[in-house]
Amino acid sequence: MNLSRRTKLASGIAGAAAFALLATGCASSGGDSADGNIELTVTTFGTFGYDDLYKEYEKANPNITIKATNIDTGGNARTDMVTKLAAGSGLSDVVAIEEGWLGAIMKSSDKFVDLTEYGAADVKDNWVPWKYEQGTDPEGRVIGLGTDIGPQGLCYNGKLFEAAGLPSDRESVAELLGGDDATWEKYFEIGQQYKAATGKAWYDQSGFVWNSMVNQMEEGYYTKDGELNVEGNADMRANFDQLAKATVSGLSANQEPWVWGKGKGFVDGSFATMVCPGWMLGNVKGSLESGGGDASTGWDFADVFPGGASNWGGAFLSVPTTSEHPEEAAALAKWLTAPEQQVKQSAAAGNFPSTIKAQEKLVEEATPNELFNDAPTGAILASRAEGVIAQFKGPDDSIIQENVFGPALKLLDTGKTKSADEAWDKAMSLLNDLVVNN
Amino acid sequence: MTSTLNRPPVESSSSGPSRTPHKAPVSMKHRLSALDVKASPYLYIAPFFILFAIVGLFPLVYTFFVSLYDWHTLEGQGQFVGLSNFTAVLADHFFWNSLFNTVSIFLLSTIPQLLVAVVIAAVLDQNLRAKTFWRMSILLPYVVTPVAVAMIFSNVFGENYGLINNILESFGIDGVGWQNDTLPSHIAIATMVNWRWTGYNALILLAAMQSVPRDIHESAALDGAGATRRFFSITLPSIRPTMIFVIITATIGGLQIFTEPRLFDPVTAGGSQRQFQTTVLYLWEMAFFRQNFGKASAIAWLLFLLIVIFGLINFLLSRSIATAEGRGAKARSQRRLLKLRQREAQESMRARPAASVLAETVPVPGPTEPTEPNAEGSTR
Repeated sequence: MNLSRRTKLASGIAGAAAFALLATGCASSGGDSADGNIELTVTTFGTFGYDDLYKEYEKANPNITIKATNIDTGGNARTDMVTKLAAGSGLSDVVAIEEGWLGAIMKSSDKFVDLTEYGAADVKDNWVPWKYEQGTDPEGRVIGLGTDIGPQGLCYNGKLFEAAGLPSDRESVAELLGGDDATWEKYFEIGQQYKAATGKAWYDQSGFVWNSMVNQMEEGYYTKDGELNVEGNADMRANFDQLAKATVSGLSANQEPWVWGKGKGFVDGSFATMVCPGWMLGNVKGSLESGGGDASTGWDFADVFPGGASNWGGAFLSVPTTSEHPEEAAALAKWLTAPEQQVKQSAAAGNFPSTIKAQEKLVEEATPNELFNDAPTGAILASRAEGVIAQFKGPDDSIIQENVFGPALKLLDTGKTKSADEAWDKAMSLLNDLVVNN
Repeated sequence: MTSTLNRPPVESSSSGPSRTPHKAPVSMKHRLSALDVKASPYLYIAPFFILFAIVGLFPLVYTFFVSLYDWHTLEGQGQFVGLSNFTAVLADHFFWNSLFNTVSIFLLSTIPQLLVAVVIAAVLDQNLRAKTFWRMSILLPYVVTPVAVAMIFSNVFGENYGLINNILESFGIDGVGWQNDTLPSHIAIATMVNWRWTGYNALILLAAMQSVPRDIHESAALDGAGATRRFFSITLPSIRPTMIFVIITATIGGLQIFTEPRLFDPVTAGGSQRQFQTTVLYLWEMAFFRQNFGKASAIAWLLFLLIVIFGLINFLLSRSIATAEGRGAKARSQRRLLKLRQREAQESMRARPAASVLAETVPVPGPTEPTEPNAEGSTR
């Protein structure tokens, strides 16, 4: 310890510097530079089709730079958002929210900016009324502006249909499945025919079929009054049994949802149909391309859906109160959800807009979607949106969908059980553990 | 250790002369330097402890505080509930399932990993050509981020399209349910962990082996001990402290495993039936999916206690194993020394001074001593 004075001085300075570093290390830096430029961060999930729109917005507003993040699936995006909400920092200026988690968020809607303060009410009539309603909290604050809705059509592989001796063009397929009177019974029946002819599965996995079935019901996992409505729900149980029977007979390809073997499942003919809400077309496109497929793989989109009109999902853009630039963020959210931009978004991602003008535009243009055998996907979705009802989503809707029924249906998909009762019991026990007694 | 032992005399001798010239101004300046001597060591180590208090101790205490409340992740602090979060977690079969998975993956990874690491270290400890190359190559997997490792291995262990199942199926064997079956999924995750950490541990063990004095090896070799014998009787006991360190860090890491199971199936938190949901993953699900922060904090504390217990067990186990070996060796050499001394004493009466020189340097009687074949046989 016999240090020279200089060494002591140096070590003193070093020590002080270390403390200074420690003290300043926690202070976060703001997103904007001195010359008035503002950086807005945006977080979306799945396939949103916003990339070109960001560029367009940046061009029109030179003082704004957009930093975008995209999260692979809605489930992960939900966790990301909850984590950051809990931490009280880290959320983007504009955050995309899925319909299924809206119920959970409504409980803490004060964590989001009331968009009526930034002129949301003036453009209220842009949207189909129920979509605007969904984004409004009980106190009348608008916390989310609708981007898209999820009317469901049927994705099917025309080449595989042909190989199985089934009609393969869109109109005949719609007719084959029953047209306007299409039922799940009919869908599974044709599935059995297909399976008998080819030995292959009919749909990718049970989970998505189940989501479609539940979203089709007038009341889903919750009643309109917000009461849990699963146990003892005879209609739901009947749907479950029907699906279980089909899955046990081998109609499910037991694919991993959202991954599909990195898209290979779409290319190798593992399954011939898939339930497709508008936004799913973007996922199909992405997976098909990463699996090495293209338009010649044979995927098509039919204007028919078993059990009638169904809406699964759809998103909103919201601005958390932690945003440093709520005004600019709200302006961006408003711009992105305006009809003109929704049309462009739909062209990029294949999803179906929630504003009336944009929907009309899609019908009018009926642009052929190259990847889906030139099907006019936008116009088909508009037809599928007719008669769609907005189902009430409760606080744990997405948990019930993913963590209660997901594992139960996976039991059937993997063949670990062949009994619908057993799978349903599993779901009920999970419901008890995860929702009722949480 | 040695420096602190040596310090007092050095200090007194160096400060002594410097004190004598100035007698009057002892006061201020000297008090300061005395203070410096006393306080600055603490100041130098302070950054660690301050950092630890901020990022280690405070979260630990705060987590315990949270665990005593009904605490929703988004809605914040609720009612004080005492220890009922802990009792709820202890009665939760998902928690026990996660513990089973954690321990199973931990055993499947740590044991083979350490065994292989010791063997690799022993091989690298030999005189190899291009030593640095070999040493660097075994460290290479450690450089790859766990996320990349998980992505690569989930391709290998994919159920429908994975490499291994493709190969198996091309031979007409049914694919393994790497993701949906419990044991295969544990093996898959343990493989990821092993791939990443074996080299790292091997290098640490190698460093320890290199510090084992070569002359002990040489004299043992002279005594006719084979490579295996030397490895078990000299190398292993000598690297005991490092071994304990490696085992304990592997325990902590193994019980906290998160990234690999999380990314092995990115859609679910640990498999559709929670077949590879580890405790940290369950904790994460509880906090950020089910949004029950109170219970999540209780899980965190239980996990903390569990790691402490496992760490202690491992410490005691590895110490007793290594000391049993070490103590045995020590007792043996002392016995030999004693015998040698006795013989020496007998022989010195016959005036043979050479033996005493030998006894000083080499405590173990070599095969050069043909007189006592019994003693040699009993020690082997």
